[in-house]
Amino acid sequence: MKKFVNNPENFVPEFMAGVIAANPDLLEAMPEFQLIKRKNVDASKVAIVQGSGSGHEPAHVMAVGPGMLTAACQGPVFAAPPVDACYETIKSVATDAGVLVLVNNYQGDRMAWDMACEMAEAEGIKLKQFIINDDVAVQDSLYTVGRRGVAGNFFVMKACGALAETGADLDAVYAMAEKVNNNVRTMGLALTSCTPPAKGDPIFDIGDDEMEVGVGIHGEPGRERTKIKPADEITELLFEAVATDLPYNSGDRVALMINGLGGTPPAELYVLYNKAAQLCADRGLTIARNYVGEYCTAIEMAGCSLTLLKLDAELEKLLAAPAETACRIF
Amino acid sequence: MSTLTIDQIADAIDVTCDTVIRNEKYFSDLDGLAGDGDFGTSLATGFKVIKADLPAIEKAAIGAMLLKISMICSKHVGGSSGPIWGTGFMKAGMASKDMAEVTYHQLTDMVGAALEGIMARGGAKRGDKTLLDALIPIHEKMQEMDGSDLGAVLAAVAAEADKAIDETRTLVAHRGRASQVGERSANTPDPGIVGVATILYDWCKHYGVDYTPTAAELNR
Repeated sequence: MKKFVNNPENFVPEFMAGVIAANPDLLEAMPEFQLIKRKNVDASKVAIVQGSGSGHEPAHVMAVGPGMLTAACQGPVFAAPPVDACYETIKSVATDAGVLVLVNNYQGDRMAWDMACEMAEAEGIKLKQFIINDDVAVQDSLYTVGRRGVAGNFFVMKACGALAETGADLDAVYAMAEKVNNNVRTMGLALTSCTPPAKGDPIFDIGDDEMEVGVGIHGEPGRERTKIKPADEITELLFEAVATDLPYNSGDRVALMINGLGGTPPAELYVLYNKAAQLCADRGLTIARNYVGEYCTAIEMAGCSLTLLKLDAELEKLLAAPAETACRIF
Repeated sequence: MSTLTIDQIADAIDVTCDTVIRNEKYFSDLDGLAGDGDFGTSLATGFKVIKADLPAIEKAAIGAMLLKISMICSKHVGGSSGPIWGTGFMKAGMASKDMAEVTYHQLTDMVGAALEGIMARGGAKRGDKTLLDALIPIHEKMQEMDGSDLGAVLAAVAAEADKAIDETRTLVAHRGRASQVGERSANTPDPGIVGVATILYDWCKHYGVDYTPTAAELNR
């Protein structure tokens, strides 16, 4: 697999240095802990942190900025960040108002963050930890007990980030994470595998005419391996799995996200969105906000995920609030 | 009552590093019988860093020293052993805080805090065929004894860990990678228990405490 790499071992630090170089006014780094944080952290507001393996960009370190995360750290590609990085991430932005630690449900991430939180709390840092698990595909998986945390994470970060900017207290921001997680559902699908730079080979094999339904963002198996289907049928399959899980009811206002897993062109994502929008209408769901693009990826995997978030007036307002992160296309 | 200074604890950790490094291949071979065969290497990778860094770590507060070692474990020990052993050192560190020496009772509490932390982190309990099957009886034995003779305590806890190897040998693992092979884990010793027992037996040898082990894994 051809990739833009120098020494694969330096891949993560080099990409993080690039993010900092491109955002000198907004962000600063502590490279020894693979962490990126906002400049000028407001001590009166709740700080929000996250950290996971690399390879999911823009998720995590590229989601740091006003109205989103306050700081985030990275592990190697598809591997949890070490405990000291998690601990320093909390410590680097610990405010009087407290820290909300958002963790996607993977065993490695959870153990690292659990330890980091215990250490930080022992030092008197005020914090709460919340576990995100929006993936409806499988109950347990290679790396999880319970459901996985995937693209729905974006909505948790966005709503909590916006609420924290208003000066809301830690309990309120935590309650918002809970509310979003309770109302968001996702399922993914892969057309191809993906290749971590340091590994050099694809992490799983998949035939040219096959797709993995319910794939995880590290290429973990989902519900089934089938022959590839037309885009509309794929959208129906994902929509059905997601929309019946909550369930979403006629009259609901929703946010709809079609997320690319890294190797699918934007135009293909809009083909999927076109059908998903129609399915929402058929079901009586009003799409109040839509998101089409890459929010949580699996390196260069061709594939997608579909996310639905049930909205209320408060959530709609928080999603519409301004935010700025390292990824922008305007 | 007996006390232990931070230098004595650092020395015991240094001896532990030697044990883990020397048994890298043996522990991995044991793990390969029912697990994924990485236990010895995972542990040794981290303890090599501890061995190298230990002289430079400040010896003022036991808690701070153990927290540093905990960080190294969780960063450099691969797989689930990193958080498990890292948690043990972290909880023992939190229980000893800024003390430069601890009494026997405080040491007992540190062991208790470590094993409770490990239980919470990994979700394992007694009888699941993990290192807890050595640590729990060790802690109980420490609580029973008055600690006036630390050599006698060391021999007694080494005996508990030794006994745990054979008592759990026929059990089926319920936690960790070995749990995924089900019955295949029966009749193989748990590498974590053997690890704890080997460390304690090596402490006996290092500190001149007489102890004759019974388990085959300690009589190689």
